[in-house]
Amino acid sequence: MRVLDKPLIVSGELGWLGEDRLERRVDAPTKEVSTIADGEVTQQREGKKPRTFSLTRAPQLKVLLDSFVALLAGDPSRLSESFEVTLGRDADRWALTLTPRDARVAKQIARIQVYGSGTLARCMRMDEADGDMSIDLLGDLATKMPAEPTREGLIAQCGGAM
Amino acid sequence: MRGRRLGILVAWLVALALLGVIVATHLKVGTDLRSFMPAPTTPDQKLLMDQVGEGPGSRLLLVAIDGGDDATKAALSRGLATALRKDDAFTQVVNGDFDLGMLDTSLLPYRFLLSPTLDTGALDETYLADELQQRLDDLGSPAATLLKGLLPRDPTLETLKLAEHWTPARSPEVREGVWFSSQGEALLLAQTRGAGFDPGAQDDAIGRLRATFAALPASKGSHLTISGPGYFTVMVNAQTRDEADWIGRISTIGFVVLMLVAYRSIGSLLLGALPVATGALVGIVALTLGFAEVHGITLAFGFTLLGVAQEYPIRLLSHRRAGESALAAVRGLWPLLLTAIASACIAYLAFYASGVGGLKQLAVFTIAGLLAAGFSTRYVLPYVLPETVRDVAGMPWLASFRTWLDALPRPRWLPLPIVAAVLAMLVFAPGPFWQNDLSALTPLPRDLLMKDAQLRGELGAPDVRYLLIVQAPDADGVLKASAALEPRLREEVAKKHLDDFELASIYLPDLATQRARQAKLPDRAALDTMLDTALEGMPFRKDLFAPFVDDVETARTAAPLTPEVFSRSPLGQRLAAMLAHRDDHWVGLSTLSGVRDANAVAAAVAGAGVNARLLDLKEASESLVAAYRTRILHAVLAATALLFITITLALRSIRRAWHVLAPMTLATFLVLAVERVLGIPISLFHLVALILAAGLGLHYALFFERDTGDPAEQRRTLHATVVCVIAALLVFGMLAWSSIPVLRAIGLTVALGVGFHFCLSILMAPHADQDRLR
Repeated sequence: MRVLDKPLIVSGELGWLGEDRLERRVDAPTKEVSTIADGEVTQQREGKKPRTFSLTRAPQLKVLLDSFVALLAGDPSRLSESFEVTLGRDADRWALTLTPRDARVAKQIARIQVYGSGTLARCMRMDEADGDMSIDLLGDLATKMPAEPTREGLIAQCGGAM
Repeated sequence: MRGRRLGILVAWLVALALLGVIVATHLKVGTDLRSFMPAPTTPDQKLLMDQVGEGPGSRLLLVAIDGGDDATKAALSRGLATALRKDDAFTQVVNGDFDLGMLDTSLLPYRFLLSPTLDTGALDETYLADELQQRLDDLGSPAATLLKGLLPRDPTLETLKLAEHWTPARSPEVREGVWFSSQGEALLLAQTRGAGFDPGAQDDAIGRLRATFAALPASKGSHLTISGPGYFTVMVNAQTRDEADWIGRISTIGFVVLMLVAYRSIGSLLLGALPVATGALVGIVALTLGFAEVHGITLAFGFTLLGVAQEYPIRLLSHRRAGESALAAVRGLWPLLLTAIASACIAYLAFYASGVGGLKQLAVFTIAGLLAAGFSTRYVLPYVLPETVRDVAGMPWLASFRTWLDALPRPRWLPLPIVAAVLAMLVFAPGPFWQNDLSALTPLPRDLLMKDAQLRGELGAPDVRYLLIVQAPDADGVLKASAALEPRLREEVAKKHLDDFELASIYLPDLATQRARQAKLPDRAALDTMLDTALEGMPFRKDLFAPFVDDVETARTAAPLTPEVFSRSPLGQRLAAMLAHRDDHWVGLSTLSGVRDANAVAAAVAGAGVNARLLDLKEASESLVAAYRTRILHAVLAATALLFITITLALRSIRRAWHVLAPMTLATFLVLAVERVLGIPISLFHLVALILAAGLGLHYALFFERDTGDPAEQRRTLHATVVCVIAALLVFGMLAWSSIPVLRAIGLTVALGVGFHFCLSILMAPHADQDRLR
């Protein structure tokens, strides 16, 4: 991220509770649980009062939620509602590129790429319009996270799986 | 002789054309409905009138967008808001879409002075470290994209805290980023620059709003609903004009038919219209001389009231004997006609004494018009009328009607049962006697008002009824007093006595508070040191927060924000609407919403120890109406006394005056009693109409009372009176069908009055007995 001078590493679990409900649990660097349910986001941080806000106030979040849920539920029609979807294949490895359809969302999120092999998604990379990037290493890739990751290293690790 | 007549006629027409030119070049028509409202006397009433027309509440248009899916409606709402914010006709447009651009970037540093954060904590190392850690966590969350832009300038998210501070507690549901009603319409509030009761300005603003909406892409499948005082003003105005138009058209046709049937001469019809035309033009010229602007309603009502003047040429036409010259006829009639004109003018003086701008204009117009019509009937009309006419006394139907009338019993004790009936009806009439509610005069369809109430409720738009008034010698004093009220009102909200409130101090704290907050801000060197320490071990770029440090320094050293500077920003418009400079002091007007216990709120406000109070606009308007009524009643009493004196002097006999005035007085009370029995509460307009009807009734009584001892002349009197009565019933009976309460009040009252006055003045005429004896 441009505002930071080194990558920010967050680790935890992302759980799909069915339908439009997601739980994002962060274990490091600080404990935090965010739940998205019924269009409401609740954020609970250690030692702080819980904060709640409506998803409609943050359309970008809604798009992310949509993409997660659609991916996890394996619902291609829902995915193509919000994104232009292209799929690349190489043997049993694949790469899914999602480009937001909504102009307002596209102003902030350039594209989302999901890499995987077989039936497993291994890595998710989000490119923001301002050049920032966030990479989610999923499953066993997450355990291979280096102690001092670099932007280039992570890109290689994520896309390198392809 | 013929040539001379033609010459006079041409000269008259040329004079009328000249008057027409003056009118066309000088007449300026105004539309502010407030000139037809009572003049305020107490400070509360003055505030009410300002509030009614120009207060923030009355300039608010409530807009609902329906049709299509949520995303479409939200996009339309956003598009409309963006376009209207650039439009000069609107001072403020809100749709729930919070826009940081609302706070001018040059004012952004002031966030530390505007937000209450510094009142409870300090901008120190611990606070900074804590906030920065939170921002780091935020960056790790999917919300990062939202915050990144704000981070360098505002790492403590003070702008968001301010936005939260300014968001009303009860706001509509937000979907797709904008307000939605429970019925799925996208909602938007637009405040117009023009006054709420200025139909011209409001019509323009609403037209722009609709055009802007229609120009938006994808607006085809959607529907726009507009509500609010301004919209109602436009509706009422259009409705009044529409109805006045069709009522006027039908009355005119009926009137033409009546004149043709009564006199069987197109010449009489056309020439008979000239005195009234003269009266109308002279009336308007008098208005342009006396007033800078003539109200549209004055003209509309004025022409109706001037219809009385048609009686003068009718009298002349009906009273001409065969072979008698028009001049001789008018000379015979003139003393009585002059009494009639004088008494009508006296009755209209009551309008002038009412103290209402619009009614004063109406009085000037009708009095000037009546005099012009009367004198042109006496001094010009006889010279242009044809030399020979048909004597109406020879009409067979008239003779038999007169015989039938004469055969009616007319007991001397007749007034007694009528007085008893009037008293009984007044005592047992249902409902309140007086109509105190100004809004009862609103001619709006019920469903429109329901829609307004629903939208108002959903938007949490302020109650129109209550207003919090804060007074101080200067603007800062108002802000200080408002700040003192804040905790009190918060308690009241907690106790559920009201839903929400808006105070000027929420948007702009007073100077002392701002200075106290400034004193808590660290200087540049101290802040740099604190920031360095707080940033230790954090991955933020070292120079990232330079804009933040600059802002703090600006906020610390800048002069505190004054209302003048603040109101130049888009958000400051809201503040400007809440602060008003009046005479030698400043007034803060705050709106309240969802007031459930007005007494408790008033007590809390009074207990705050500042110059503030809760104003009940309904109470103020009712007291205004009551004061207005007292004034009109006094004027009516004075006019009545004057009338009695005039009639007595003119007839030179108290007994004869009694025969004229008794039927008139009885008929007037009879109208009042009948309307009360029908359950109609008496409004100011009923009183005005009663005076008008009394003026007409006085004419009938005067002519019936005239003791000529000639049965043919009696028949001519009857003919003239019947034509006048039918003409009046035609015009005012039509008005009685109007959907506009004011017009209906006048129409029904005068139509009833004309009927009663006619019947009573015949039944109580003194010489009917003599007629029969002959």
